[in-house]
Amino acid sequence: MNKMTDIDQKKCHPMVGVPIEKLRPKQVRKNLELTLWESLYIFEIIRGMYITTRHFVLNMIGFVFKPKGQKRRIFTVYYPEEKVTIPAAYRGRPVLVTWKNGKEKCVACGLCEKICPANAIMIVAEERDGSDRYPSAYTLDMSRCVYCGYCEEVCPKEAIVMSAEYQGLAERDRSKMIYSKEQLLRSEESVKDRIEYIRRIYSKCSY
Amino acid sequence: MLADMIESIAKILFIFGMNIGFFAPVLGWVERKQSAVMQDRIGANRADIFGFTVIGLFHSIADAIKVLTKEDFIPTGANKFFHTAAPFISLVPAIVTFCVIPFGGRYTLFGHDVNLVISDLDVGLLFIFAFSSLATYGAVLGGWSSNNNWSLIGGLRASAQMLSYEVAMGLTIIGVLMVYGSLKLTEIGVMQENFFRWGIFMQPLGFVLFLTCAIAENKRAPFDVPEAESEIVAGYFTEYSGMKFVMFWMGEFLEIVTISGIVTTLFFGAWHLPFITDQMLLSFFQFAGSNGASILAMLVNIATFFIKVIFFIWMQMTIRWTLPRFRYDQVMKLCWKMILPLSLINIFITGLVFLR
Repeated sequence: MNKMTDIDQKKCHPMVGVPIEKLRPKQVRKNLELTLWESLYIFEIIRGMYITTRHFVLNMIGFVFKPKGQKRRIFTVYYPEEKVTIPAAYRGRPVLVTWKNGKEKCVACGLCEKICPANAIMIVAEERDGSDRYPSAYTLDMSRCVYCGYCEEVCPKEAIVMSAEYQGLAERDRSKMIYSKEQLLRSEESVKDRIEYIRRIYSKCSY
Repeated sequence: MLADMIESIAKILFIFGMNIGFFAPVLGWVERKQSAVMQDRIGANRADIFGFTVIGLFHSIADAIKVLTKEDFIPTGANKFFHTAAPFISLVPAIVTFCVIPFGGRYTLFGHDVNLVISDLDVGLLFIFAFSSLATYGAVLGGWSSNNNWSLIGGLRASAQMLSYEVAMGLTIIGVLMVYGSLKLTEIGVMQENFFRWGIFMQPLGFVLFLTCAIAENKRAPFDVPEAESEIVAGYFTEYSGMKFVMFWMGEFLEIVTISGIVTTLFFGAWHLPFITDQMLLSFFQFAGSNGASILAMLVNIATFFIKVIFFIWMQMTIRWTLPRFRYDQVMKLCWKMILPLSLINIFITGLVFLR
């Protein structure tokens, strides 16, 4: 388990705040009896104001002269203009993975349909060229999906994975949130990270 | 006669414009932006005109438009008259008190004596105290007339807190009065021409106590128990909306300006630069002729005064965003058990030193 989180941290290394090595645990005084110096208030108030003012000044300097390596000292992301890189562990919209030739990997075994706790998936299986099974219809009701990732976990063919897509998940009309198979097809290339990730994680578990 | 009128009107317009037109909207922006940068955030920056955001300054304009178009709501069972009167009662004293605070010295301009204070009252300090205590009625009436339990609690808290701190604030000032021997703010200002006669050196304890009391009087954090958002919604102005809400809000900001003005006048040398007297300024600007020298010296005075005021506004904002709120009993304890005895001790020591 530790190893896994280590790998994850390398992958999506935290760009926010003080680096972990620099964080020193502070000693917390448990007894609330104030010393004489503290009960004078005024010096402690000045100390507090020094801290906030230091933050203010450093942030203002960071706005004007952008430090090297980081864009600025305040790490807020201006969302619509800037986007964060999403770690592979993120569970976004479930999508169907295709082979190189554009055919879906899914063999319509129905395991995802069975395990889905929210009954969001509905599959109609059919036969192609006398031998291949494939879903002639794969309906995913995103108004029901709870992003648990069970479908991806049970899938024997790595055909359904939780992608990093997080935009456009909400609609004003529920009927628009029911996706057909064609809307869910994604190339293998676009979800490569996630496939790697699930191989690494799920191979650790033995059911 | 005419010159007097022109002078008065110019001074009134200047102070009024400075307070309503500059400080009130800009302080709203400063409060947002300063707190944001202080807490490693960005702060309001989305309101734009043709793509220009001007670091969030347009939010003040957006606020003004929003507030003007909002419904003016009076809750059922509220006392309509007092509910409407309360915001005015809390805004007007905040504006009026600034008129006795001098923002410059006395100069001769075109043979006319110009004194840079709107009204040079002999009892200036008393006037300030009288009017700032009127603001209490705004909070109390607003809380009481809203027919809302949160408001009522807020109003009660406001009344007890402000009355208590009024007493303490009056006592902290007595030290200053004993040092300078005058209630006239212009005279106090003139006496601080010498850098070592500034109030902060004569009354260091008095300064700390006065600033504490003044912030408590203004109901801002760490003494914002009357409007404690996390406890009683918004306290005494829970039921206010639109323009009336903004009046409370503006009253609060203008009181910050007034407090900064009083602190500057009493403790930080009013309009004087350290080690530079008005006579030195006049002789320094001698090259511009006598009238030009007066005008330049006035401008230097006004700039000095307002820079000091802005510094104290800044300090109050920093305090407001640094310290957490006191509990209500702690507020009262601080007033009656610490500030009041300390101010009495301050008076006693001042008496020993100065009234030999």
